[in-house]
Amino acid sequence: MARALSLGNVALVLLAAALAAVPQARLEAASASSTLVRYSFDDQELATGPDTFSVFEKAKGRVHLSTAFRYSGYRAVEIRDVADDGNFPELQGYFPLRESGILYAHFAFMMADPLEQLNIALAGPAWFTFKKGGVAFWLQTRGGSLYHYSDSIPMRLAPLRPFTWYLVDLAYDVGAGTYDLAIREEGRSETLVSLKAQPNAFNEPGSGVDKFSFIGDNGHDTSNVDYYVDDILLTVDQPIPIAPFVAPGRRKLFFDTWNDLRLQVSAMPSCVPALGLDDFGFSSEDLGGLKRDGLLPALESMLAGRPASLPAGGSPGLAQALRAIGSWQAGCAALARGEPLTALDRFASAGRDGQGAAIYESSSALALAALGRWDEADLRLAGVQAAWRDDPRLPLVLALIGVLRGDPAAADQALRPRAESVAQDPGMECAFVALARRIDPELVRMIQGRFPDDWRSCLHAALLPEEYFNVLLLRTSYREAGRYASRMAARLRGMSLPAGDWIERQGDAAFLAGDYREALGLWKASAGGGRPDVALMLKLSDAHHLLGDLTKERAYREAIYGSLHEEQDHTPQEDPREEKTREAQD
Amino acid sequence: MTLAAALAALAAAPIDAGRVKSLVFPEARLEEIRALGPAVLPVLASLYERSGESDRAGIASVFYALGWPSPDAKRVLLRDLHTPDENLRLQAQWAIGRVSADPDVMDALLDTMRNDGNPLFRDKAACALAHDQIHLSEPQKLRLFERLIDALGDPKEQVRDIALKALVIHTGQSKGFSPSGSDAERDAAIKEWRRWLERYRSAM
Repeated sequence: MARALSLGNVALVLLAAALAAVPQARLEAASASSTLVRYSFDDQELATGPDTFSVFEKAKGRVHLSTAFRYSGYRAVEIRDVADDGNFPELQGYFPLRESGILYAHFAFMMADPLEQLNIALAGPAWFTFKKGGVAFWLQTRGGSLYHYSDSIPMRLAPLRPFTWYLVDLAYDVGAGTYDLAIREEGRSETLVSLKAQPNAFNEPGSGVDKFSFIGDNGHDTSNVDYYVDDILLTVDQPIPIAPFVAPGRRKLFFDTWNDLRLQVSAMPSCVPALGLDDFGFSSEDLGGLKRDGLLPALESMLAGRPASLPAGGSPGLAQALRAIGSWQAGCAALARGEPLTALDRFASAGRDGQGAAIYESSSALALAALGRWDEADLRLAGVQAAWRDDPRLPLVLALIGVLRGDPAAADQALRPRAESVAQDPGMECAFVALARRIDPELVRMIQGRFPDDWRSCLHAALLPEEYFNVLLLRTSYREAGRYASRMAARLRGMSLPAGDWIERQGDAAFLAGDYREALGLWKASAGGGRPDVALMLKLSDAHHLLGDLTKERAYREAIYGSLHEEQDHTPQEDPREEKTREAQD
Repeated sequence: MTLAAALAALAAAPIDAGRVKSLVFPEARLEEIRALGPAVLPVLASLYERSGESDRAGIASVFYALGWPSPDAKRVLLRDLHTPDENLRLQAQWAIGRVSADPDVMDALLDTMRNDGNPLFRDKAACALAHDQIHLSEPQKLRLFERLIDALGDPKEQVRDIALKALVIHTGQSKGFSPSGSDAERDAAIKEWRRWLERYRSAM
């Protein structure tokens, strides 16, 4: 429910969003099936993961397998919430996104005390929000009765009895945004609820679904609900291709998902940073004019990417140049969103108002390259090359365009000499600049002041290595990429600076080269004895899986997705992820 | 004695106003205030009454964070809903719906949303109505929706806009209403909202 987006789950939410952003794995190996999900919680494999389900057991709430009550077989899932404990338990499941057709959902539930609140929902890519792609179907208990949300209205369905199983059958027409709902009560022959063509939760036709959720209360931390869920079955009217599981809980290795996302991001161009006000055509005299006209605050806001309003009066020329910066920033934001056509339009406005500054030209070249308009991109690029002959950003622009053109060799050629020399550069200040990760005119002024003769190579350290490493991976030069990452890590270590990112990249290259043992060692080393982040934990899970260590595969995976176990196997722990991480590292 | 036991013992004892003040200022230590339980609310309200504007804003933010119903908190916050101090007024607007679901609280916020001379206060009152009415019963929610739908017919476009935003946050729907649409377009969408309201009423 909405609380599923609470802070504690943010990392997982972001990861799941990333997982959802890539095409389903290996569809060529998929077989068609109309069954998306089937859990009876008895003897079957119950591995958590991005293609099965997650278990959240924070604070005092619990999600356990239970033999005490079950609708069929010998086990069900018990979900127990505790009021005022600051969090909530959740069973959250995943299935392939359905944006059309009919989805049939069946499950059984039973409550110890119907006066307590539970919430059960089906939602889509927008998670448990009140909009299209958010919650599509929502059941809730209130004051002893069951309600469903239809057309944003909580509608009472029936009173519930304690310790009685209820069987829910839903037929959701995704395109129409309506559902038929039938609920039967254990021990009664007649149907308790039978509704047809109900508008979905927020009356949004076409609201797709790809996840389900069972929780206690939805935000006020007031529920002490104890309920049981059994026999979850989700099917569709037309069989769809479903990839096989390649590892527990996933139809695609975490690494492959992460790597596909990395490739998507690296193939998406972004503006190169501005290095000084002369990038925007301002002279030192103009600065005086900006100050006089009260335009400096607007300039600062624009350079920081914030909206700014221009005061009336003052020099029309300066105001026009400021408007150009605003257009350029808007274009960069559009480019980063993957909207190159919008970006190109904004860059054209910037170019008109900003008198053809090279930074606007380079940005237009990137947008044109993203659109595949190569002749126009090359024309712009020629102008940029003339203006930026000695500019440290030129190799980066050339490489980005090489990648977009599908010509990593050209990108390699543009980057190699300078990127290789960064790995040999002993300058600690330049390494600091690279670690700062944010290049802005103020930082550039500082570098120019400290290194008047060599400031360009210092900026290379910040701008080029990561892109060069990506280009080497694109060229499938995994061993070379690993060696480059190793040299970069050694350089940073030599200065006692954090080298974890480069050690992790070295591990990535080893994994891609098929050396899982080396990748495992490097990834572990990259965490430097600390707790790995979410992406790294999942990569470690993959490496252990491929090396046959099922215990550690599971420990790392369950550190993120939780585990479904019986109550006697639960170890009280403030943060189960800490425990799992330790378990995996032992 | 463990910290938990110490806090439990404190919770059972009469709450010392000086101690509460030390938990609120200079930085609010919310977990410790929360551990004192709802009995801390009258003490906070009394402290509020004796404080200057800046400190009152700080105490209002504590009421907000606790989110516990309290007639005392409502009484003192209500007085500051029209204070000229901008920060205090905003803190009071945000906090009051989290301490009370009384009709006069909702009415005061609705009045600010529609009639205040300052668009900032109008906007923030709508925010409070959208996000912070956490103790409303279903009949009270119905009443809120009714008033927000009324505000869709306001002559001020900004009021129509913020009323719609509050409705969208509550219901996930706009029913095709555009604050800048023509009179006829807006009337048609308001009729749609009123039909929805009747369905809501009949579902209760």
